[in-house]
Amino acid sequence: MSTLALKGPYWVTLRQYRRTLWLAVAAVAASLAVIGGLRIWDAQTPDRHLVGGGLVPADENRGYETLRLAVESGSAYLLLVPLLVGVFVAGPLVAREFESGTYKLSLTQSVSPAAWLRAKLVSTTAVAFLTLLALMGVFRIGWSRVSDTYYLTWADRGPYEATGIVLFAYVLAAVAVGALVGQLIRRTLVAMAATGLVMGLVLLVMGSFRWSILSVKTITAPAGPTLWTPENGLVMDSGLLTASGARFDQLICWEEAARTPGTDVTEGLWGKVEAQCQARHGATTQYVDYHPESHFWPTQLIESGILLALAAVAAYAAFRVLRARHR
Amino acid sequence: MTRDGIALEADLLGKKYGGRARGWALRECDLALPAGRVCALVGPNGAGKSTLLALAAGLIRPTEGTIEAPARERLAYVAQDKPLHPRLTVADTLRMGRELNPGRWDDTVARRIVEGGGFSSDTLVRDLSGGQRTRVALALALGKRAELLLLDEPMADLDPLARHQLMGLLMADAAEHGTTVVMSSHILTELEGSCDHLVLLHGGKVRLEGPVDDLLAAHTLLTGPIGDLAPHTVVESRTTGRQLTALIRREGPVEGPWETSEPSLEDLLLAHLRTTEGASA
Repeated sequence: MSTLALKGPYWVTLRQYRRTLWLAVAAVAASLAVIGGLRIWDAQTPDRHLVGGGLVPADENRGYETLRLAVESGSAYLLLVPLLVGVFVAGPLVAREFESGTYKLSLTQSVSPAAWLRAKLVSTTAVAFLTLLALMGVFRIGWSRVSDTYYLTWADRGPYEATGIVLFAYVLAAVAVGALVGQLIRRTLVAMAATGLVMGLVLLVMGSFRWSILSVKTITAPAGPTLWTPENGLVMDSGLLTASGARFDQLICWEEAARTPGTDVTEGLWGKVEAQCQARHGATTQYVDYHPESHFWPTQLIESGILLALAAVAAYAAFRVLRARHR
Repeated sequence: MTRDGIALEADLLGKKYGGRARGWALRECDLALPAGRVCALVGPNGAGKSTLLALAAGLIRPTEGTIEAPARERLAYVAQDKPLHPRLTVADTLRMGRELNPGRWDDTVARRIVEGGGFSSDTLVRDLSGGQRTRVALALALGKRAELLLLDEPMADLDPLARHQLMGLLMADAAEHGTTVVMSSHILTELEGSCDHLVLLHGGKVRLEGPVDDLLAAHTLLTGPIGDLAPHTVVESRTTGRQLTALIRREGPVEGPWETSEPSLEDLLLAHLRTTEGASA
């Protein structure tokens, strides 16, 4: 049905990978069933009213707990989407043509090799985007209920990607890297493994690098009472400042407390020794470095930009390799 | 673009596959194939036949020299292993031919070839036998209505009956549309009677090239007493006792005590294939 209106190499690509297409549809349907089902289960138990006003899920609400778990792992599955797309492009879509020799058929038809590769990549990207959009929609159904709980804040790995736009950029990068690796390696399984490795590395590196893109905000307060991070912020660092404003190495007082006899048995002594030590060093101010929630979209945009640049370079190289090898 | 009347032209063409240790698959290959011919490409295994066809199809780029062939829309190529997408049905494979060759595809021809195979068009390609795959691959090539057909060992997987039928279809179709055909083959008898042009490759070089009639006329098979065959070029000679049998390339009329006859195409090819030092045409 969906292939009726398609022409040329697009028709060929989608016809060849009909089963993969159905697999994507099935994945969306299954995730919708799970999250939808859990929301219904969760709704069976009314929320508990807090004394000071407000509602929290009842303690006996196992539906809520399961939903929370499902959303947590669901966001991890979403991170797999770019990996799977890259692996698919590199292996079955590109390398297998060379491994099985069908490229001799595909590249001697009237459509040019570039048009052939473009059709493969564009169809895959389109299907991957639609699937991702649907999966992210399903994620939102669960997310809207459990967001901002433990491990499920805006900045956590998983929710950060699942509620923004970076995953689309990851998918584009994966498609381009897959197209390049598939042509360079020309062995289905090896190309799949190599692309999985590269994209996994990209996800890891970008995941830890993203919070170094924008500079953190810092607040200070007198040492002692807990300093709450404002603006629903992501804490990057916290500690003490000396009178001159320099960051104080807390290890000094920790070691002093550790050396003092009795701190390991007498309750409260450790804290007292540490506090005295800190006061002696003039470390009377505490600070917190954090990313406010308003950094979410700028970080998403810059990260996406970096990934798009990677995608552009890889795609350019992929088409160059194709042109260098075939007339 | 190719010169007028020339369908395929190679000029000092050479191809070396990756790796320093590997030699040249094809080297210093010169040939000009007139349009409308049916050309047999023969040679022992590893002679460079498949490389020459892949170069002509534009699948690979030459290492040195040039090859002039029609643009990709106007040529069709069937590789030796008859690659097809295993998970498409026969009908989908033909639809693919139409989709990838818009404005050129001739469904009637393609169907005629497939229908002779005795299998349903709903069959998946991966369930076809080797011969049936050949049929589908040839249907794709002929359906494209190309000016130049490049066929690498097209008939190798076919039983004699199917070979005869498909060869007939192929030749009739080529004659009707003036298609140039280049066909590599091991089966020498299959070439006799269907090919009017010959290219003999050996060790990556062209050893013999030209119209079959001219080549046959230029050679003589002679038997008689042992003697000096100069000024003729001896392609191959054998002696049994005092008796000499030789295939020569004539330089002027043959004078001497020998019995002469025109060799068959098979005689000519076998003689050249047996000697690595075959004379270049």
